Amino acid sequence: MPASGGGSSAGATHELVEHVAEVRVRLRAPSYAGLVAEAGRALGALALRGRAGRARPEWREVEVSSADRAALLVDWINELVFLAERDLWVPTEFQVECTGPAAVRARARGVELDEAPALVKAATFDRLTLQERDGMLEAEVTLDV
Amino acid sequence: MSDPTPQAPPYRAEPLTPWLREIPAAAEPHMRVPARIFADEILWRQIAADQSLTQLVNTAALPGVSRCVYAMPDVHEGYGFPVGGVAAMRVADGVISPGGVGYDINCGVRLLASDLDAGAIGSRIESVVHDLSRSIPAGPGRQRQIAFTDADLDDVLRSGSRCLLERGLASADDLALTESGGHLGAADPAQVSAKARARAHGQLGTIGSGNHFVEVQRVEEILDPAAAEAYGLRKDRVTVLIHTGSRGLGHQVCTDFVRRMDAVMARFGIVVPDRQLACAPFRSPEGAAYFGAMCAAANFAWANRQTIAHAARGVFRRAFGEAGALRLVYDVAHNIAKVERYDGEELCVHRKGATRAFGPANPETPAVYRGVGQPVLIPGSMGTASWVLAGNDAAAALSFASTCHGAGRALSRGAAKRLRTGRDVRRELEARGIVVRCPSGSELAEEAPQAYKDVERVVEVVHQAGLARKVARLTPLGVVKG
Repeated sequence: MPASGGGSSAGATHELVEHVAEVRVRLRAPSYAGLVAEAGRALGALALRGRAGRARPEWREVEVSSADRAALLVDWINELVFLAERDLWVPTEFQVECTGPAAVRARARGVELDEAPALVKAATFDRLTLQERDGMLEAEVTLDV
Repeated sequence: MSDPTPQAPPYRAEPLTPWLREIPAAAEPHMRVPARIFADEILWRQIAADQSLTQLVNTAALPGVSRCVYAMPDVHEGYGFPVGGVAAMRVADGVISPGGVGYDINCGVRLLASDLDAGAIGSRIESVVHDLSRSIPAGPGRQRQIAFTDADLDDVLRSGSRCLLERGLASADDLALTESGGHLGAADPAQVSAKARARAHGQLGTIGSGNHFVEVQRVEEILDPAAAEAYGLRKDRVTVLIHTGSRGLGHQVCTDFVRRMDAVMARFGIVVPDRQLACAPFRSPEGAAYFGAMCAAANFAWANRQTIAHAARGVFRRAFGEAGALRLVYDVAHNIAKVERYDGEELCVHRKGATRAFGPANPETPAVYRGVGQPVLIPGSMGTASWVLAGNDAAAALSFASTCHGAGRALSRGAAKRLRTGRDVRRELEARGIVVRCPSGSELAEEAPQAYKDVERVVEVVHQAGLARKVARLTPLGVVKG
């Protein structure tokens, strides 16, 4: 399906998939760590919607673990949504390391805003997919907006 | 992005009446009960074009589900459950599902009425809407500077609108005219996580973003004079409609418990067709914890709408003095799970994007509306009419006393933006004399009237199907968009 609002980094890409009420994101990356980073970049793009914000040079560490790798993507996005709302901080750069079968430690830095970012309020398990395709990992996540 | 390609409905549905169809329980092996959809032919085609029917059929798989699952005529695809869906599970042996309530717990609508004549407002509508936009923060995150401590937040979570009485932000009449008195006694603030509490900081008394709004309206048409009289609605008088919910706190409660229930379903031997339907037995520790947290979030939402109503009253008092007094008609939730009794059984009725519609005989209908039925408030899309309906007793047997909650989306946000820019939408509304305040042109485009189903058609189905009856039609004069 054609998409818009996408982006890419180091072989990873994201694109928006049609959903009547919410926002559905398709993520592709050569590795799981890359997929997690791309999910963060996708959320950053949706959160900022073209706004610049004030650059914050310091790196922050974010750790998340879950029941499985698909759930980890949901939990990771939800952690970033929480940090954005509480700290008015939207990370846009990520260094992700897998620390277990369904656990990651990420260093992230980004921008600070004057008010919480709009649009994404939660990541959901709705039709959550994670699969290997053509040598790449591909996931789809529905975001509550 | 592109629009969904029109295709045949995923399920065969038998027409039961011109307004009701049924997908039999045999349609999928996992279905425990049939799925019923309230719609006319045009709405049926719109509903069948997205994932609504698949999501509705999936909810029929939930353990303990009773009688039927229902889709209201404004139903559209959501996450797990469709938005506009109703499913009731037996309390004794059924489940409770956070996804069946949704992220914005107790998102709902509150209607205030005045004796002001719309014609007398005239050009002052511009300054009234401006003052509303300054007095009631809109947009995401925290803006409201109501100072409240952690203990105050506990009070809000435990008592809802009640705790605003002593602060002078609510009256006894306000509580009497709010669904459940603006307070669910089963609330357990201890089940609300630190993260949810952090997200609540500064959000009491704020609209939020998305499709939330405060709208100034005119009573354009009265269709049931007796019911309108009981509700205090008179032709050409000014009303104010508030649409918002539990903000970040509710979202975090849902996030926390979907995750928690996803992790324990296997222990209870529960298998669901979509992980977003994650659930646990109502009578399990996890079920009880979620119900306590959900009730606390619902209380926060009622306190939020009450605080906004207080601010709106201040705006009208400043502009019009005593003549601008705003009295509460009613406040309804449309994302909530409630324990109610039907067919001799205690059920946990999940209404996600659906409004309770108790009839005249129901003891929970406020005393002043006994004999009429509870007011049912149906906001239209931005710039279109909203409706006040009255609940019917017959709806208990038809839909667990539930009805629609709005117009219901028909187009994705991307498709809406391809149809109209925010500037186009603003110009079109202003050309019709509607004053608009919205912090984002993009969000204005996403909420364009063309992105929604026809609210007139939705309400007609509700009326003809006997779920609720038409009382009054309200048209917008000005809107503050979240």
